[in-house]
Amino acid sequence: MREFFKSTRFKILLAFLAFLLGIMIYAVTKGGYSVSGASFINTITKPFRAVSNGISMKMEHNLDKISNADEYYEENQRLKAQISKLNKQLTEYDALKEEVEELRKFVKIKEEHEDYILSVPCDVMGYVTNDPFKSFTIDKGSDDGILPNCPVVTAEGLVGITVEVSEHVSTVRTILSPDLSIAAVCSSSSADQGIIEGTVLTAENGNTKLIHLSTENKLKNGDLMITAGTSGLFPKDYQIGTVKSVEYDTSGLSMCAEIVPCVDITRLTSVTVITDFSGKKEDSE
Amino acid sequence: MRLRTTREQRILYIKTALRWLIYYILIFLSFIIMTSGTWLKPILLVPIALAIAVNNNQYGSVVTGAICGFMIDISCGKLFGYNAVLLAFFCIVVSLLFELYLKYKFINFMLITAGVSYIQCRLDYKFYYEIWNYENVERIFTQFTLKIWVYTIISSVFIYLLIKLINHFLMPKNHLTIEEAIVTKTQQN
Repeated sequence: MREFFKSTRFKILLAFLAFLLGIMIYAVTKGGYSVSGASFINTITKPFRAVSNGISMKMEHNLDKISNADEYYEENQRLKAQISKLNKQLTEYDALKEEVEELRKFVKIKEEHEDYILSVPCDVMGYVTNDPFKSFTIDKGSDDGILPNCPVVTAEGLVGITVEVSEHVSTVRTILSPDLSIAAVCSSSSADQGIIEGTVLTAENGNTKLIHLSTENKLKNGDLMITAGTSGLFPKDYQIGTVKSVEYDTSGLSMCAEIVPCVDITRLTSVTVITDFSGKKEDSE
Repeated sequence: MRLRTTREQRILYIKTALRWLIYYILIFLSFIIMTSGTWLKPILLVPIALAIAVNNNQYGSVVTGAICGFMIDISCGKLFGYNAVLLAFFCIVVSLLFELYLKYKFINFMLITAGVSYIQCRLDYKFYYEIWNYENVERIFTQFTLKIWVYTIISSVFIYLLIKLINHFLMPKNHLTIEEAIVTKTQQN
């Protein structure tokens, strides 16, 4: 042993250890940065390590798949069931969201017009085939309290009137039709009055027409037309549409205006029927 | 047609029932298509009723014509029974025409369908729009009525092929005994 301590080999080893210790102390003083030797090694070995690590990971992954196949299969099945459940919940959520939105509109109408008796929200079943004036059918009928000649609305505005009512289905004639006439007045000036009545031309663009306007009217683009409520068929002050353009009619004795309905009549999904309101004209009257 | 065994009779009944069942499924599907969406659509039930009338007796034709007519009335929002009367009448006429004078050929069917659907579309325009003298009513004729008529004619090509296919498999064929065939041949000579 004494011989070993006295030998050159021991001194060399000791010197090497001291060198390593010196490197270590030097590394400590670098404050987190690699010493140049380590950095060099890292740079040289980086691509090899990356490839090697990739292979290793792949192998581990495959081995893991083989060894834990049963466990993964069970997990897969569990997750599939969970996804299916979540999808179902999502569908229900979407339906509920849509329903809530519909009910919110319904409540809005009720809040704004307390005298209205409204039907439950009605889904639009479909448009009447090839009808130029976009009549449509709704999924509620006389069993739900709907009668012929009841105004049909959305929260945005007037849509039309029920014309044919069966127990569970009703047909609605829209404000695009020339067969429906509604007394209308400008919301900003009660002097500007007229009759809303659809025409073939305006219906092509989803619009309707205001006729029998005084030549001295002060209507301008964007003015809102609302129901006058004089006929007793429609409630008073319900929005119909906005003025798009004003011009003289063919006779030149009065003026007319193209009206853009507040509601896009061509893309309805649900509506509400006003079954009763203050000032409604009864059939017997 | 001569049926010789009860088995042949049974097959005939089954085939006939199945054929009518498929006819009515087709009618129902056409009704569903007609009531869906907002685009202009062909009046599919007109060529279907006529294609059925061409190959069947007057009783079956008139009932089918009436049912198709009722369905058109519902889907197009017309007076209930208006198209039923119209189609029932045309189905009888077409059935008789093909029984007595015309052969069941593509061109004959197309001509008849074009004629009948034009009358149906023209009357619809007349009674529902023109008679009320709406402003620019002629636009409805050019923008709606004519387009619907053309769509109906185009659709009738497919309906012809479909009904022909159904008939090919399910329409009973005339069978003659050898003796009857000889007698018929002798009479022809």
